Formats: sequence, C-alpha cells, structure tokens
Amino acid sequence: MASMLKIEKLSASVGEGEEAKAILHGLSLSVPAGEVHAIMGPNGAGKSTLSYVLTGREGYTVTGGTATLDGADILALEPEARAAAGLFLSFQYPVEIPGVPVMTFVRTAMNAQRKSRGEAEISAPDFIKKSREIAKVLSLDPEMLKRPVNVGFSGGEKKRLEIYQMMILEPRFMVLDETDSGLDIDALRTVAEGVNALRAPGRGMLVITHYQRLLDYIKPDKVHVLAKGRIIKTGGPDLAHRLEAEGYDGVLAEAV
Amino acid sequence: MSTALKDMIRNPTVAELELVARYAALKADVRRERLFEAFAQTGLPGRRTEGWRWTDFKTAVSSLDAPKAAPARDPLVRDAVTTLRFTPSGYGVPKALPAGVKLLAKDEVQAMGGAEAAPLGALAAALSGGKTPATLLVDVSAGAPVHLHMVFEGPGAINAARVVFLLRPGAELHLSESHLGGAALSAALVEFTLNKGARLNRTVYQIGGADEAQAVTALIEQDASAASVQTVLAFGAKVARIETRLVHRETGSKATLNAAYLAGAGLQADITTHVRHGAPSCITRQVTKGAVLDGGRGVFQGKFHVPRTAGQQTDASMQHKALLLEEGAEVFAKPELEILADDVQCAHGNTSGQLDAAQLFYLRQRGIALVQARALLTEAFIAEALEGAGALEDVLRAEASGWLNHAA
Ligand SMILES: Nc1ncnc2c1ncn2[C@@H]1O[C@H](COP(=O)(O)OP(=O)(O)OP(=O)(O)O)[C@@H](O)[C@H]1O
Ligand SMILES: [Mg+2]
Repeated sequence: MASMLKIEKLSASVGEGEEAKAILHGLSLSVPAGEVHAIMGPNGAGKSTLSYVLTGREGYTVTGGTATLDGADILALEPEARAAAGLFLSFQYPVEIPGVPVMTFVRTAMNAQRKSRGEAEISAPDFIKKSREIAKVLSLDPEMLKRPVNVGFSGGEKKRLEIYQMMILEPRFMVLDETDSGLDIDALRTVAEGVNALRAPGRGMLVITHYQRLLDYIKPDKVHVLAKGRIIKTGGPDLAHRLEAEGYDGVLAEAV
Repeated sequence: MSTALKDMIRNPTVAELELVARYAALKADVRRERLFEAFAQTGLPGRRTEGWRWTDFKTAVSSLDAPKAAPARDPLVRDAVTTLRFTPSGYGVPKALPAGVKLLAKDEVQAMGGAEAAPLGALAAALSGGKTPATLLVDVSAGAPVHLHMVFEGPGAINAARVVFLLRPGAELHLSESHLGGAALSAALVEFTLNKGARLNRTVYQIGGADEAQAVTALIEQDASAASVQTVLAFGAKVARIETRLVHRETGSKATLNAAYLAGAGLQADITTHVRHGAPSCITRQVTKGAVLDGGRGVFQGKFHVPRTAGQQTDASMQHKALLLEEGAEVFAKPELEILADDVQCAHGNTSGQLDAAQLFYLRQRGIALVQARALLTEAFIAEALEGAGALEDVLRAEASGWLNHAA
C-alpha cells in the first residue's frame, strides 16, 4: 500500500544560532493509509521533537531530509496549512488559553479549516449537536466546554479534550503524543475507543507512548523504536511487549 | 490680528496662529479669555510639556488642513437612544429628550477648574460656541436610568465641543460617546458632577485617521457614595489622547476607569488618567489593556493622588498590560502613585510583552491562521477592560475583533 506519511532521512535541530541543538539525525519512517503505527523510545529521544517538526512549530529547524503527506511536501507549509491538509497533533502538554472558551476555539478552528478547503462553514446548531455527541462519547461534562481552553483542567481532562478536538475536526493523519499519560484506567479505555472510531482506510496515525497498555486497546500495525533521534528498530505489536518486559537496553545494544 | 494676540503663545506654529485667530473671532467673554490663556501657556502641548512627552500635538498638528478621509462609522448609535451630535459647525439638539433630562444652551462660557492642567480641555472650552451657544448643560435628575449618546465628528478644520453634565442626587446616566474624527483637530471637553449617590456609566469609543489629532478630556467630580464606571476603546489617530481627571470629593465614592487601546501603523493612542482621593474611604479600580502593531504607539499614564488626611482608607488599584504584537510597536507607560496617607490599600501593576508562542502554535496547529490566532488571543487579552460597558460590551468587542482580524 502507498505511504500516506513518508519521512525520509529527517534531521532537525531546536533553538537558534549558537544555541541550536541537533535532535533528529536522519529519521526515516512511513505510515501507509489505513495503518496505525506506534513510536516508543526513551525520554529525551526526540519523539515530541518529531511531532513538532511535522506540525511546523516555531523554533525547530529542518536541517535535512523530507516529509510528505500523500506525496506532498508538508515541511514548507505554515502550521495552519498543515492542519488544513489534515494533520493533527494531540499535544503531550496541551496549552491553556485564558479567555477563549473551548466551543469558540474549536468552532473557529473547524471553520478555518473548512474555509481553507473551500467548504461552507458549519452552522451553530450543527456544531453544537456534533459537539454534544462527542462530549458524551468521551464522558466530558458539557459545562467544561464553556470554560476557557484547558484553564484549570486536570491532566486527564486536558488529554480527553485533545481527543474531543480530534474527533470533531476529523483529521486525516493524527499524531498522538503520550495521550495516555495522565489518564485513569476508564478514561484510557474511553479515549482508545474514540481513537479506534477514527480508524479508517483513508486515515493514518502515529501513536507515541511509553506504555504497552494503550497499545492493548489501539492495536498498532507496527511499532517503531526511536532512540537518539533515529528509528533504530521496527517490528510488529509483539515488539511493544518485548520492550515492556526487557526495557530499551536490549534493542539499543542490537542497534549499535 | 493684534500684536497682543499674536504674542499669547510663544513661538507659535502655523496651526497655533490659526487657533489664536479662531479665538479672536469669537464673542469676547472674560471666562473664554481665561480659558484661552490657560491653553496659551503651553500652546499645543508637546515633547517639552510635562505629561505630553510621548503625545506630541505640537508636531503632529502642523496645520489645520481638513483631513482627506470622512469620519469613521459610528458603531454605538442606537435608534432607541437620544443622540447629541457635535460637529465643527456646532451641535444639534434633539427635539425629544428622555424623561429626567433638561438641556440648557448657554451663551456665556462656563468656568473650568484646573484648566492649566488640561490644556486641550481648556482649548475645547475656549473655542466652543460661535454658531451655537458656548456651553451645553445637561441636567439629569433622579428617576429611571437615562440613556444618551453623543457623537463628535467632522469634517472640517477644528471640532471644539464642550458639554457639562450635572447628575442630581440619585440620578443614573448611561452615556456613550463616539469620537470619530474627521477634523484636523478635534478637542472635546466633557464635564460631570455626580451628586450624592448618582451613577454614571460612560462608554467612550475613539477612532481617527493618520492625518488628524483628537483630544477627549473628561473632568469628573463625585460626591458621597457616587459611582462611576468608565470604559474606553481607543484606536488612536496621528495623535489621540483620552484624558480623564477624576476627584473623589466626598466619602464613599467609587470609580472604575477601564480602557483598551489598539494602535496600528502610523497611529497613536494615549490613555491618561488622574485620580484624586480627596475624601476618606473612596475606591478606584483601573484596568488598561493595549495592543500595538508595527509603527503604532500606545501610551498609558495613570496617577493616583492620595492626600495625607483626606485620603485615609483609600482603596485603589491600577493595572496596565500591553501587547507588542509586532516588532516596531511602541508602548510607553508611566503609572504613578502619590500616596501621602498611611492607612490605604493601593496596588499597581505594569507589564508589556508579546503573545505567548506556545498558545499561538496551539491555535495554528488546529488550523487557525496566524492573523486570526493573534486576533483571538488579543481579544481575550483586552476583554477584561471592556467588561464594564454593560449592554455595549459586545459592540466594543466586535469592533476590537474586526480590527484585529483585518488591520492587524
Ligand atoms: N527548546 C529546547 N532547547 C534545548 N533542548 C531542547 C529543547 N526542546 C527539546 N530539547 C531537547 O531535545 C531532546 C528531545 O526532546 P523531546 O521532547 O523530543 O523528547 P521525547 O522523546 O519526547 O521525551 P519524553 O519521552 O520525555 O517526552 C531532549 O534532550 C530535550 O531536552
Ligand atoms: Mg515527549
């Protein structure tokens, strides 16, 4: 099957000028349409950095390599254009936006994406209906959606709100950066169900996680190990079990 | 013009000479003379005038050629609310007035306290009148809340206007003002006396072009238990100053003085306030928020004066926060607390900075374009300053949002 997300020999650094620090060192990875891949790897390996480089965060510089979505270069695009192309990041640390209610924010985002694709805006009643349905699936209190984005939300609530946004925006390619951290056992299952509901032949997903547990619910087609800015090993779902049992030492040693 | 007149202002500019000529053409009046002399001490205030270092009318108003653009649209005008209109050819008085309101147009010029401290207020008072009587007095008595709207707009060279409000004991006035420019120099003076227990809610909207100057001066005096809430939204002009001088002159008086300014390229917005706690147990709350683009300038000058004996049990807070939205944006701020009383609660804060990069990225990752993301965050940032405008809060927010999404 053709690759949906294709990353080739990607190198990137963070910071400016003298302060610049190389983090990704020729990372290659591809996710075919319809597949879910997991990325595991030690703290500080560059997993979040990869998610930011893909989505175009300021302060990250691509120093080599390419990344394409359905064959089109995404690295040259503004962050909002990448979002409109269907790229979504569930943040490891969701950001608080005081003064901007969740509903206002998500509806603005949805209409901005629709506009840039030449589609009509969603009507307020349609949006509210959709928002209610999704909030219910994720057991989010509708009152929470009137509050400013993430302000005063618990760690788990913030993660659920990321998935709420993802389910409303229906992106084509999703990067989930440690969405499972901070979720209680029930929330983990609910969130996983939400994610699974988005699995479709035309969609792809990269799931960054430290724990096997999430992968029990979201069964990945492949598991990649990211260490020191590269993919050092790729395997099937059983690779996650092996890492859970043995830690990273074994695969790191094999890779050298 | 006689030599004596020409010498009133030292080294006058072309514009100042023209102001002298306009003054000379008006009906002689001792009080008018006193007011013009108060103005003439500084002339058009500028870099060398104390309190005007960052808002230089002298340089900005080089001549009194009428600006090219027509005045801006008025977002605050409402069918149900009586409107008073002030233009370079005088003011229009509506036929029907709300219950509890009396209008008195006086040929004689009224005295103005502290004229030297507010040179452009003094100028407005000295030049008002001519085709219409010099002073418009508005008398508001207790009863149902009164709603009034005032518009100040060109076209023309000078739009000088003066209105004096008297709020009788227990009266309640909701006043909106749109200062839309359209004259080379617009100078408005609005005075308020709030008798015991009177309430004033004042909303000021100001917008102007890059070839015009605007000064809006308000003098507010409050008796026992009077309360005022003021909300300003200023978009600036070549130079624009919104100045409020408020005196708590009896116990238990309360004032809220909020403002938001948004200044684009070539525009300047100055929010200046002076509050005197001239009686014990009075409260002042002040929040000013601003956002400035490349080539724009924001100015905030706030002063609380709390005298030794009279100012006991003062409770006052002043906050100014500005966003420099682009490189090349300028903000000057001078918060001043002059506290001579010992039993007071006074707080102040003053910051300027940039939008949070992490917040901006979060919004953009969700597909919101940079300009719109910036607008959303800036609107949230200034929102607190507009909360006191009551029914007009949404209108002000919409104006701010429209500007942020288009100009910014
Ligand atoms: N702005 C920055 N300045 C300097 N170093 C940075 C910056 N951002 C990230 N790094 C460094 O880059 C490396 C990779 O960080 P990254 O957040 O991508 O790791 P990660 O694999 O996501 O780790 P974790 O599992 O802990 O989330 C780390 O060593 C981190 O300290
Ligand atoms: Mg990380």
